[in-house]
Amino acid sequence: MAAEPSAVTDAELVARLSRQRVDHDNKDYYRGWLERRLLMNRCHECGQWHHPPKPVCPNCWSSDVRATEVSGRGTIHLLMLLHQGPPAPGVDYAVGPHPVATVELVEQPALRLTTTIIDCPLDEIAIGMPVELTWIERDGAPFPVFRPVSASTTGAS
Amino acid sequence: MTRYPAKDQVAIVGIGSTGFTRDAGRSSAAMAAAASIAAIRDAGLTRDDIDAVVVAAEPGAPAPHQLASMLGMPTITHHTRPTPVAGFGLIDAVNAVFAGTCDTALVCFSMMRSPTASRSSTADPLRRNLIMGTPSYPESASMAAAYAAWASRYVYEYDAPREDFGRVAINGRTNAAQNPLAVMRAPLTMNDYLAARMIREPLCLFDMDVPVDGADAFVVTTVERARQLPHVPVLVHAATAGLVGTNDEDQLPSLRRHGQHVVVDRLKALSDIWIDDVDVYLPYDGFSIITLGWIENTGWCAPGRAGRFLEEHWDVEQNRVMINGRIPINPHGGSLSEGATRGSGHLREAVVQLRGDAGPRQVVGARTALVTPGGFFFNSQGVVLRT
Repeated sequence: MAAEPSAVTDAELVARLSRQRVDHDNKDYYRGWLERRLLMNRCHECGQWHHPPKPVCPNCWSSDVRATEVSGRGTIHLLMLLHQGPPAPGVDYAVGPHPVATVELVEQPALRLTTTIIDCPLDEIAIGMPVELTWIERDGAPFPVFRPVSASTTGAS
Repeated sequence: MTRYPAKDQVAIVGIGSTGFTRDAGRSSAAMAAAASIAAIRDAGLTRDDIDAVVVAAEPGAPAPHQLASMLGMPTITHHTRPTPVAGFGLIDAVNAVFAGTCDTALVCFSMMRSPTASRSSTADPLRRNLIMGTPSYPESASMAAAYAAWASRYVYEYDAPREDFGRVAINGRTNAAQNPLAVMRAPLTMNDYLAARMIREPLCLFDMDVPVDGADAFVVTTVERARQLPHVPVLVHAATAGLVGTNDEDQLPSLRRHGQHVVVDRLKALSDIWIDDVDVYLPYDGFSIITLGWIENTGWCAPGRAGRFLEEHWDVEQNRVMINGRIPINPHGGSLSEGATRGSGHLREAVVQLRGDAGPRQVVGARTALVTPGGFFFNSQGVVLRT
């Protein structure tokens, strides 16, 4: 379903997600972060999803694109291990490489989100692994990540 | 036949290069000026002959009007600032000359190590204002990281061993030893490659091009004018860029449909010369995975087989690739070893080889060159050059 407008002002949104380049086209996507909801752009005319958020549907050119909640289920499609890289809270390259995965969501082929994987030993993370959305706190705001599907069914939370 | 009226109508008549180093100790503008002056002189021309200035929009590089001002160019009728990599600048100049918006264009590419390129460049206060659009958080598969991300998919889909990537790096390093402009000229062994520090696994230090300071410049004019100038004209036979609609790096449809495929389809349709007739082959190698992609997508071998292709065509004695015992790949060392020229080095080397001026690395009798700058997403390009 399409997201309801959030009460957070644009200024508050930009301030809380200072690492992200919040703009007119992606502000609803990032508002979803603050509510721990993953809202991907979906065309209200033709139903096609796209990401990153664009002001027009690349399929039918409708401008009626809406940040819409996804199931949060997907499969790892691309996977790199950063041995060095930009700093972030909770990321210590000296301890070990930081996994960065591009997850293909079940909603549509090639609809993908790039983030990290938690609750999984590094050597068990692999392309093809089914994963599900969860949230961590970073810089005082929610940040979407994925974990192996089995992690939730075995009681981790 | 696909329409390309500019075929063989525009020529590269001058080249100039500063060579490439880790720290030139001078500004991008200074390097651009040096390469440009050298290219104009090499063409046997003066500033009065130049009526177009094309300068790639590299971080820290002068704008075209600034370069024109610095060089005291009296009259300019075409000036543009194309995005990197190098093919865009050349294609713009060719089109401008052919269309008649100018007669003789200076095309300049000036590289300066960005402040995020390495620890030493981060520490250099004179580089701090060159920040590019790279994300300030780790969880991104955009820009440079995209190649490591898609390399993981390549390894997954084709079960490719690290040696496939290593051969690209070793080939470049062996070739760079014969190129005095190159920054990295010490030999590289497979053991060195396999032992190298991982950066964005599966890619290691030697899979990534070397950030450098330095500039290349070219002078481009009509074929009629070119015939009155000192050097053998190097004709632009065909040129194209290639883009697919879904080109956001992590949303790319697959390894089997991206910008390189568009370039190859178009270039094959435009060109009378293809891989059976090519003497010099210069595929981009900003990351080793890009070269594997170009080799496969250009049709030298099937998808997923580039590593095997390099192995089969490896000249053990020379420690480099010689396709069919005859065609080297990136004889100047490429971006992995000459330095991260973003393709201007590949274009320059094509011109040097086709003029017969490549000295110890000369491909005997070279008449045709295939240059494919750029990667998968938004800068795939192809150029066929001939004399």
